[in-house]
Amino acid sequence: MLLLALSDAHIPERAIDLPHKFKKLIGVPNKIQQVVLLGNCTKSHSFLQFVNQISPNVVSVRGEFDNKTLASSKTSREEIPLNTILKQGDFTIGCCNGYTIVPKSDPLSLLTFARQLNVDIVLWGGTHNVEAYTLEGKFFINPGTCTGAFSADWPAAQDSEPGAAEQPRSDAAETTTQQASGEAAQSDGRTTPSAGQTEDPSGAHGPATQPENSDSAAEPNAHPNAGADDFDEGLKNVPSFCLLDIQGSTCTLYIYTYVDDEVKVDKIVYNKG
Amino acid sequence: MSYAENIEQAVSVCKQQTVLMQRCLAQEKLMDALKHTSIMLTELRSPLLTPKQYYELYILIYDSLSILSTYFVDCHTKRHHLADLYELVQYAGNILPRLYLMITVGSAYLQCADSPREEIFKDMIEMCKGVQHPMRGLFLRYYLSQRTKEFFQADSPEAKKTNANFVITNFIEMNKLWVRLQHQGPLREREQRTRERKELKILIGVNLVRLSQIVESDFNMYKDEILPLVLEQVIQCRDVVSQEYLFDVICQVFPDEFHLGTLAELLSTSLKLNPAVPVNKIVLTLVERLNGFIDRQENPGIDEISQKLASLNIGEENSNLFFIFWKFLNQLSEERPDLQLQELAPVVQGILKLKLRWGPDNIRNVNTLLSFMTEKCKEHGKAIPDECDYLFHDLLLAPEFTNSMKFFYNVLTQCAAYQELLSLQNKKLQRHCVNEILDMLVNARWQITSKADLETILKICESLIEADSEKPASSLMLDEDDALGNENWTLSPDHEKLAKLTHLCFNKSVDVHIELLLSCRNWFQRSGRNIKYHSPAIISNFWILIRKCQWKLKREQADSEKYSNTIKQLFKHISRTIDNLYNSSGGGCLDLIYKLNLQTASLADQSQLGDIAYDFFSQAFTTFEESLSDSRTQFQAIVNMAQTLQKTRNLYMESYYETLITRCTLHGSKLLKKQDQCRAVYTCSHLWWATEISLLGEEEGITESFFREGKRVLECLQRSLRVADSVMDNVQSCELMIEILDRCCYYFIHGDETSTNVSVKYINGLVELIKTNIDSLKLERNSMLDDDRTLNNGGDKAYIGIDGCYIHLGATNSVATTFTKPPTSKSTNLESIPIEHFDRTLQYIQDQKEVDSRFKAIVL
Repeated sequence: MLLLALSDAHIPERAIDLPHKFKKLIGVPNKIQQVVLLGNCTKSHSFLQFVNQISPNVVSVRGEFDNKTLASSKTSREEIPLNTILKQGDFTIGCCNGYTIVPKSDPLSLLTFARQLNVDIVLWGGTHNVEAYTLEGKFFINPGTCTGAFSADWPAAQDSEPGAAEQPRSDAAETTTQQASGEAAQSDGRTTPSAGQTEDPSGAHGPATQPENSDSAAEPNAHPNAGADDFDEGLKNVPSFCLLDIQGSTCTLYIYTYVDDEVKVDKIVYNKG
Repeated sequence: MSYAENIEQAVSVCKQQTVLMQRCLAQEKLMDALKHTSIMLTELRSPLLTPKQYYELYILIYDSLSILSTYFVDCHTKRHHLADLYELVQYAGNILPRLYLMITVGSAYLQCADSPREEIFKDMIEMCKGVQHPMRGLFLRYYLSQRTKEFFQADSPEAKKTNANFVITNFIEMNKLWVRLQHQGPLREREQRTRERKELKILIGVNLVRLSQIVESDFNMYKDEILPLVLEQVIQCRDVVSQEYLFDVICQVFPDEFHLGTLAELLSTSLKLNPAVPVNKIVLTLVERLNGFIDRQENPGIDEISQKLASLNIGEENSNLFFIFWKFLNQLSEERPDLQLQELAPVVQGILKLKLRWGPDNIRNVNTLLSFMTEKCKEHGKAIPDECDYLFHDLLLAPEFTNSMKFFYNVLTQCAAYQELLSLQNKKLQRHCVNEILDMLVNARWQITSKADLETILKICESLIEADSEKPASSLMLDEDDALGNENWTLSPDHEKLAKLTHLCFNKSVDVHIELLLSCRNWFQRSGRNIKYHSPAIISNFWILIRKCQWKLKREQADSEKYSNTIKQLFKHISRTIDNLYNSSGGGCLDLIYKLNLQTASLADQSQLGDIAYDFFSQAFTTFEESLSDSRTQFQAIVNMAQTLQKTRNLYMESYYETLITRCTLHGSKLLKKQDQCRAVYTCSHLWWATEISLLGEEEGITESFFREGKRVLECLQRSLRVADSVMDNVQSCELMIEILDRCCYYFIHGDETSTNVSVKYINGLVELIKTNIDSLKLERNSMLDDDRTLNNGGDKAYIGIDGCYIHLGATNSVATTFTKPPTSKSTNLESIPIEHFDRTLQYIQDQKEVDSRFKAIVL
């Protein structure tokens, strides 16, 4: 079964809409069984309509710019929870936007969150940067921002090369964690959107192929011609979202990123156990 | 002689007489043959036939007469001379058979080389006047036209002229008969007659086809000798059906170039028609025809076309299409003040269509037309009727505009009349149109780069922004709304689109970009409370500009002063925008204001503007203290503040940072609910323990300058533990302690006791304390188990979330439900929440022992 994770749309306050190519990809009814909105996705009428048309099963958690409640029908309103749990296949999935997790997006803090809710997979958002990794046997997924909305977090380009490190990633944060906790030996599978594999989720669900254990693959997702004129492009984040294909105890994660007007797909397989 | 009673009989008579006639011809009994023919022709005198039946009969008779005609030609001079026959048939008893026979003989005679052509032509057309019965006359003349058509090939201009005159004369007479048909018989059958007439129209139209065959490509002849006569007849007949039909046929049968050359004549004729003739239909036919002309060209370049026109000697005055139509439009509105908007609008749209096809880039003409329409609407005075809505919708969003976004944008921004015309429509239509316009702009991601353009577009969108303020601002009702502490507003698609409009504003120059955003902001200001929809969009664009300036600052050292000033200016704009939001929203969106302040503060911190960051943080505190009332909102807000503060790096001067984090922790410890206090305080412990931000090149273990004060970390943990201990609800109390234990593990991983102050002893003590509490919980649970509840309650699971809410995951549901209060359902076993959480934490510590030997000191 397919689970779609969207986060930080920030429509209309920061972005106009999803990239057209994203809409075409996911805007097909009856293909995706569950949609998870990981915060800051509830201020746009048209966006919610679009999401409801993908699947009637939509779960939402509250981001810092969401209202406290969301109209669930014409007359009633439902409170948007800060965190919630989903159950799919053999997995339990914890969802939160993470704007109340301190330090922000800290892997150890997220691990604590996972432990508190007793979940195998953590879906979180708030950073506007897509990332996925395993830690202590749990799978952590941040689908980034589906619209490429601006983020007020620290920008990548604090040095003089705006192009070079355009897409901030919190790789180092995790490296540190491993050092600090003495877990350096742990073989955590992780990948980055730029790894360049392009696989179709509708294709064969072959044997679980563990992605290469690559700290070196953390190549920043730079625009090839990031010059002065690309400032304006580079000011926004790379649009991305995640699709989880859950079959029994296997979760195949597809990361979709939108770079240079093209959609790239990366794949990670996570097995429970 | 008499005629049959119905069509079947008439047909059988005809067939019978034809056979007899053929037999006589075979026996060379010409007189007998003529007699039979005459009997057959008598059937055409029947008044009982409908036009359709009459036509059927006519076809049959035409074929029979063709046999006769062939005989006449074949046997000419052998057995008879056609001149003699022509005389002979004059003696037929009745006029109708006589004339049919005469035309048959006459046309046969015309085939002979030595015939007196002109005289025969003249005689035939004269004699036809003898039949004035409309239907019989029409068919007789049609017969004449059919029999003579093959003789119209002429080489000399004179001969052509004669032929044309012959056809025109016949045409005029036929049209008269056709019109007269309308006025026969009783009044109540009028409509039926109109229908019957329409069935016969082709008989008349065929004359014009013939004319176009005669005139070939001789434009001057058409213009000087044919068109004036035809048009005169069209005008004089004053008959609606005839005028509408004939105009259409004229447009269809003559070449496009001719129409281009005689546009003025055609259009001025259309003004003289019966007022009941729909002018718009006529104009649209013409427009279609002229636009089709461009499509039919092989090289549809305008140059090619004008060359072609020049070769036809079309005068200068006729070559400016737009001017002619424009003149026509003015005349039309002058001479026909009675014309309804419904009729006028399509005419204008037609001309617009033509205009855009022939001179696509001329915005000025579009404006002229639109302002004409605007004037008309104003003259109309009263409200424009609803049934016109679709007409104006089509006009304002004509596909000719919207096909190209670029052109449409030019129309929007450069046609002053567009906005004016739009503003005259009713509100519903206006909003509908504006919505479509915004959709188009937004979908095309069309950048608005100049202030003038932006202001025009904002003016066009006027109806949306006013839409809500129109509803009586019954402040009482609204206040009540706010009193409920509402951070909840309904989504408004209209305002969403307006907010998106903000993102279309763009200019490479930061200064101009700011100006654009300020224009938007001032304009949105008018929407009153709805400003909450747009302000965040404006602010986020300011944020982006700040970041842009930061980059430029680094790159272009020379302009660094300019950019740092701009940055400061931008922060002022943001502050002002937030203030406006605060003032206009009347307390409706405090949480939003709080978050906007926080995010702006963190941007200011990133810009190394500690003072400004401090101001925004203080502003956030003020909002928090004054107005955030809901306890859950408060908790989330304070934790969010901690998260933001923990990532700041430039607040160290004048101990801003210490001031802010102390204040934050203090607020946390004063939250309404104890469990919130506890969670907020242990979260705030992180404020004394900075972690690396790798993007800044910081690295754990290498960077020395992290802000870290283990003593305060421990103080926070101790304090929160005290609160946890004082919570009455055992489940919550236990859960909170485990959460604190989790925090302890976090710090334990991060460093030694010497730096974090979180010692093995402290952790061991905490584990011990939790164990004791858990034991008493287990007692509670066991005692309750006696109330026949099974320990395994069907796979239902419950957890306590990071904000203290209860998350209940049913065995059969894939999605959990969350509750802010403990679920009352008996099936939920609350006691097991902390018990199981504790087991997981202990397991985690156990696992850590294998990778980190320091953990071995913790006693489980």
